[in-house]
Amino acid sequence: MLYFLRKTGLFVLTLWAAVTLNFLIPRLQPGDPAEAIVQKLAGQAQQVDPEQIRAIRLMLGVPDTSLWNQYWDYLNALVHGNFGLSYGYFPYSVTHMIAEALPYTLTLVGVTQIIAFVAGTGLGAWAAWRRNTKIDSFISLGSTFLSTLPFFWIALMLIYVLANTLHWFPEGGAYSGEIVPAFSSGFVADLAYHAVLPALALLITGSIGWILGMRNNMVQSLGSDYTRLAVAKGLKERRVAWTYAARIALLPNFTGFAISLGGVFGGTLIVEQIFSYPGMGKLMYDAIGNRDFPLLQAIFLITTVAVLLANFLADVLVGVLDPRVRRQSS
Amino acid sequence: MPAANSIDEPILTVKDLNISFVSKYRDDRQVIRNVGFEIRPGEFVGLLGESGSGKSTLGNAILNLLTPTARVTSGELLYRGRNLFTIPAEDLRILRWSEISTVFQSSMASLNPVMTVRAQMEDVFAAHRGASGAKREMTVEKSLDLVSIDHKYLDFYPHQLSGGMKQRVALAMSVLLSPDLIVFDEPTTGLDVVVQKSILSRLKTLQESMKFAVLFISHDLGTVMEMADRVMIMYAGEVVENSPAADALSGVAHPYTIGLLGSYADPRDAEINIRYIPGRPPSLDSVPVGCAFADRCGLATQECREPKIPTAEIDSPAGHRSIKCVLFGSETSDPLPAPTIFDEVGQQIDVHHAALGAGEVVCRVEDLNKTYSTRKGLKHTENHAVIGVGFELRKGSVTALVGQSGSGKTTIGRILTGVEKPSSGTVTVAGVDVGSLKRRTLRNYRSKVQLIFQDPFQALNPASSVGYAISRPLVNHRKLRGSEVREEVDRILGQVGLTPPSEYRDRLPHELSGGQRQRVVIARALAAQPEIIVADEPISMLDVSIRAEILQVLNELTRSNGIAMLYITHDLLSARLIADEILVLHEGKIVETGSTNQVLTQTRHDYTKLLLSSIPNPWQSRRNVPSIPAASSTSARA
Ligand SMILES: Nc1ncnc2c1ncn2[C@@H]1O[C@H](COP(=O)(O)OP(=O)(O)OP(=O)(O)O)[C@@H](O)[C@H]1O
Ligand code: SF4
Ligand SMILES: [Mg+2]
Repeated sequence: MLYFLRKTGLFVLTLWAAVTLNFLIPRLQPGDPAEAIVQKLAGQAQQVDPEQIRAIRLMLGVPDTSLWNQYWDYLNALVHGNFGLSYGYFPYSVTHMIAEALPYTLTLVGVTQIIAFVAGTGLGAWAAWRRNTKIDSFISLGSTFLSTLPFFWIALMLIYVLANTLHWFPEGGAYSGEIVPAFSSGFVADLAYHAVLPALALLITGSIGWILGMRNNMVQSLGSDYTRLAVAKGLKERRVAWTYAARIALLPNFTGFAISLGGVFGGTLIVEQIFSYPGMGKLMYDAIGNRDFPLLQAIFLITTVAVLLANFLADVLVGVLDPRVRRQSS
Repeated sequence: MPAANSIDEPILTVKDLNISFVSKYRDDRQVIRNVGFEIRPGEFVGLLGESGSGKSTLGNAILNLLTPTARVTSGELLYRGRNLFTIPAEDLRILRWSEISTVFQSSMASLNPVMTVRAQMEDVFAAHRGASGAKREMTVEKSLDLVSIDHKYLDFYPHQLSGGMKQRVALAMSVLLSPDLIVFDEPTTGLDVVVQKSILSRLKTLQESMKFAVLFISHDLGTVMEMADRVMIMYAGEVVENSPAADALSGVAHPYTIGLLGSYADPRDAEINIRYIPGRPPSLDSVPVGCAFADRCGLATQECREPKIPTAEIDSPAGHRSIKCVLFGSETSDPLPAPTIFDEVGQQIDVHHAALGAGEVVCRVEDLNKTYSTRKGLKHTENHAVIGVGFELRKGSVTALVGQSGSGKTTIGRILTGVEKPSSGTVTVAGVDVGSLKRRTLRNYRSKVQLIFQDPFQALNPASSVGYAISRPLVNHRKLRGSEVREEVDRILGQVGLTPPSEYRDRLPHELSGGQRQRVVIARALAAQPEIIVADEPISMLDVSIRAEILQVLNELTRSNGIAMLYITHDLLSARLIADEILVLHEGKIVETGSTNQVLTQTRHDYTKLLLSSIPNPWQSRRNVPSIPAASSTSARA
């Protein structure tokens, strides 16, 4: 119990620190913070657009009040999900832009991450269970080979073969132009149709790490005394494989998985770029291009919070699954 | 339970077993060579041998738990007539645990860390639902009662139990389905002598009441000889002797058996005679033709180098003996050679005759206390590791600090070397209080007090050569340069018996055997020209034959170089061999001191008595067994 309390406390503390740093850093710069930020984004030589400075000021809050008041306003705005106006997509608010992009990324990347983890771990465990057989060689050599290929190359090959040559799937985009985004079955089917290629690319590359990691962990736990004793006890194969070998081999992977889920909120720049997918990665890319500081700031904050949250959940999960961890800190 | 008429039918028969480890990168290594033996119902069979002789491999083969790289190249393994290597997988699974169960070495690692004790035990019942009614009488609770463990521990996880408790749980688990055979692989290695004793006596009572047969694998000679009805001695993958324990102890046995037994003695005896076999077992990559032991055997003749060494089958009053040695049962001579021919087997080691109080005092420890305080949340606990300890170390003399694990031995050693500060009390070396030393002076001090660790494998940097390791203190502390360093390195290597030095200077630690490594560690300690050496269990990780050798080196060097040594150990026999004085430590306090002989023979304190009584003494416990076997029949088998 103490373990969970401590982890919760730690989470709240780091969350507060991250949020506060996000507030303080732009304000700690000497001179007019807004001007400095715009100058930095624009490059030294360029003329600074007064419009930009105004937008940043708006985001930072009224500079005349005390820092304390600004901080209070900032927290208040955060709680209400108010990140100010986007400069690049004026007059839309930052919140609006993120709300547009986030669902695409969450479903595409989030779902593929989960499938990749489950499938990768399963394949890795299977390879380890059948270690030194043909199945094992096929799985581990195959994934080692794929892991040497760069992601964009795999993605481009998929587009070339499945979209350009065979015309089975569209080259890019999240939905067809003619369909109006709405919650109709037609739209959902169209979304899924468009998501197949990027999802396939993500699945291939995403699961490799889990396959190789799980195989290594599991080969180790299969050789361990507790697994050998489980065999000696005459337990059924399945029980030995899952409850003894796989369960312990899985623990280190969980943390990695939770953290990778946290990263989903930042989107994946490359995949969304290649498949022109309107998710968070693309939004961020465009925000950098447009020097859309309010939007960038919000994306960074969301990503940080998501990663922290994922870490926290991973800690809790591992605590539930592994009594040794609970004990260490209680 | 075996039916009465099957008493003489073996339950396990191993026939001509050969096992190799295969590897893509080098030739196969045959680690089990032509092994055959039988185990009868209710029999307690010991399997002895040095590290690497193949004991665990044989044990794993019987459990059918060999790693995928092991190949059974020939032979049969029959359990009540069924070949375990060929029966269907499901039959094998059902047979497991209900017929043959096991306890591994150090159950630290053999219990699943994320399951409760109860869950792991109930797994056995779940897997063997079909087991016959008699086997289901046992419950998890009953089995814990058998090993005196409170039921509340059922809901604990393994890491919440002490090492001894885990081993008891493992023992309880092994009898859940009342098996007929249990294989123990070093079940008490790493446990404290006192804990070890209590677990073994529990095993013995269980075995007597439940009547299962035992294969007990160990390198601990005293324990095996005391517990077992019959012992098998392994050497380089072969079983060279298979005899009733009483016969093995009789003084007429395979020369290797004699050699092993020679390194064992009871520290309480008035006169101690310790012998060891020089040399190491052959590499399994190139086992010599003929008798594998021939290179180390003082009795070897030309005959021993012939390709086939016959196995003599001899009946003795205590049972049947199989001995693979040309001295036994050849057709022209008596089945048993005269006991006197074994007198010269092995090499005698000088037992130090303790002399108390000689030599000037180089270190005085007074009223030493060390308290560790730990804070857990709001709870503040104090652990008194050392309480009011005082003693003196003298030039050229060895003081043994003896006690169970956790008694504070290592803490005292660490304070002496200046690694740890005492909570109160003083350690005075050459008129200076060690506790008051600051950085620079402390560094100087540390060169005067050298530490030798338990584990020679961790004490040396794997990446630096032997010569480099020894030259460091020469350069740092003694400021030697150039050719002086080289000469001194060679001289010290010679002192610890690593000759010629040119052969060892440039080797890396992994190219040395365990005994050689420990010699290098000793050489490194000597290089600093220390006044004091603290040796913390320097031989406990080594094989018996190497132990005697290292003790010999330590003994000679401390005395000839006038070094004062604090010898920390839990092993009273080694203390007897080397120490002038013994300090018995119990829960941080010294409970008994005196000259070695006095402490061991006129023991006063109960704790020392407990330690002494935990030492197995096979000769004593078998005193009433006839020790001179009269051979009744013999045959020689090629
Ligand atoms: N998995 C393996 N692959 C290759 N060689 C192995 C393997 N396991 C053991 N060996 C080798 O087989 C030989 C016998 O090993 P084994 O573990 O049976 O010895 P042991 O008598 O039990 O030793 P110890 O007393 O140290 O436990 C050794 O030379 C060892 O190096
Ligand atoms: S066969 Fe020869 S070398 Fe081997 S143990 Fe017997 S006497 Fe010694
Ligand atoms: Mg072993």
